[in-house]
Amino acid sequence: MSAIAARGIVDGTAKGPALVGAEPISFLGDVDIRTGRVVGDLPSLRNTSVKGTVLIFPYTRGSAGAWRFLYQLYKHANAPVAIVTQTVPDPSVVQGAILARIPIACEPQADLAALVQNGAPVLVEVKNGKAVIRLT
Amino acid sequence: MELTREEEAMLEGRQGAAKKKAMEGLLQLGRAFEAPRFVEIGYAHVHAGMALYLEDVELMEQLAAEGAKMAVPASVNIANADIANWRQTGAPEKLARLQHRAESAHQKMGSACTFTCTPYWAGHWPTWNTHMTSIESTVTIFCNSVLGAKSNRDGFFAVYAAMTGRYPLFGYHLDENRRGTLLFHIDTALAGTTDYSCLGFHIGRIAGEGVPVITGFRNRPALDELDAMGAGMATSGGVALFIVPGVTPPFADVVQAFGGAKPPASIAVTRADLDAVYAHFCTGSGGAFDIVHVGCPHASFEEMKEYAGLLDGKKIAANIEFWVTTSRTVRRMAEEAGLLRAIEASGAKVIADTCPISCHFARTTSPDPALGVQPPPIRTVVVDSAKQAKYVRDMIQCDTLLTGTKEAVATALTGRFVPRAP
Repeated sequence: MSAIAARGIVDGTAKGPALVGAEPISFLGDVDIRTGRVVGDLPSLRNTSVKGTVLIFPYTRGSAGAWRFLYQLYKHANAPVAIVTQTVPDPSVVQGAILARIPIACEPQADLAALVQNGAPVLVEVKNGKAVIRLT
Repeated sequence: MELTREEEAMLEGRQGAAKKKAMEGLLQLGRAFEAPRFVEIGYAHVHAGMALYLEDVELMEQLAAEGAKMAVPASVNIANADIANWRQTGAPEKLARLQHRAESAHQKMGSACTFTCTPYWAGHWPTWNTHMTSIESTVTIFCNSVLGAKSNRDGFFAVYAAMTGRYPLFGYHLDENRRGTLLFHIDTALAGTTDYSCLGFHIGRIAGEGVPVITGFRNRPALDELDAMGAGMATSGGVALFIVPGVTPPFADVVQAFGGAKPPASIAVTRADLDAVYAHFCTGSGGAFDIVHVGCPHASFEEMKEYAGLLDGKKIAANIEFWVTTSRTVRRMAEEAGLLRAIEASGAKVIADTCPISCHFARTTSPDPALGVQPPPIRTVVVDSAKQAKYVRDMIQCDTLLTGTKEAVATALTGRFVPRAP
């Protein structure tokens, strides 16, 4: 079980099946609140749902309203259990994730997209600025 | 993060449960961005509580119930219904009544109940170097770029910062991040706020998260033009600050805008680039449309004067729905100046607190089904703003026809779409 170090952004521990995206995601517009399904023009994530997943993707983009969509995904029980990005997500996403208690890690020390298959269980532990991503 | 004694007192709950929760959130935010300490803020533009999202109004009611109070001057962002005048918009009464509960919560917390995306037209004018927070990107880019205040593109925590008077020191609060990263030169004349809106949309698409420095204006842009340009930029990119040397404090020239470093090669912006944005948002075929809209971002008093001038003594075409959206504050100013009468006599509706993309027309919301919200079947909306055009496509999910303000009013008067003359 390899453990990959990363930078911790939002504290918390969560485990779930990996969902790996190749495109940046805007939570306002790309994901349907009421189903968790990806509805944006994201070829690598067509017909998938973020619900209950460890969502791994390059970076966040788009509106400062993203916090509301991430929080609403949580309110509708359709939110990812954890988020892992290459670069630090924008402040609005981080604020939505803190409100929705969704741990976030970024800058993983390994190329997760190459190591993880969709569906494979991933454990994300984030505490005090440090994160560990375990691929079982 | 290093905390002052008062910040520790708030964090430990010695100033109440509401402030404790706010400081815990702000501390986690500060750690995420490696902020060394908090700064004191002088202004906040906070979340309204939106009736079209599940338990979102309740979020604000809970804060008010926990005794949260605004520690700094705070204005309230745009909402999902015109709280006083909802009948004219066709919204269900239950939605308007839920949205009204957000107003009561804000009154209890001491917010200025502006319910607008342009609080500056309602008197909220943070000066140079004022640290602030804003939940609305159009407000962030206007205050950063036109007033010289310092704000990140925030989310819900704008209200936490308002309650505590604190925000973590990172991002655009640091002068080292308030430097140009790209240089643009305008090679075309600009006429009307829609040209500036398309200019901003074009620049934002290139600048992404960068800081564009913009030169080549034939004359100093008016406040409404800077507002439209910023709104366009914040929509197409993640731009939080643009620099117009001589307009954006404290940058007098291009060299200062790049912090003394050698400016990069400039990117020319031509008429063709603007026409491409107009074309990009003219997707309605055959010119048929359901609604004409002006006032994105929410109109200023000067824009209300323009509309009144264009509509005075005239009538809009039969069965045309024509919305003018502004803040309840500017709507009151227009009323007292005798402008409202001229606009409404034409058949136009002057809507406050919301706009087409923020009201029950939107299809990407998640209201409580018990509210009976039914987005009406809209095929095409005529707009005079690239920002409104983009979110009509994304949230109302229908066609748009983008044109100038004068042309949009002419469209409502004649019943036939009048494109922006090239």
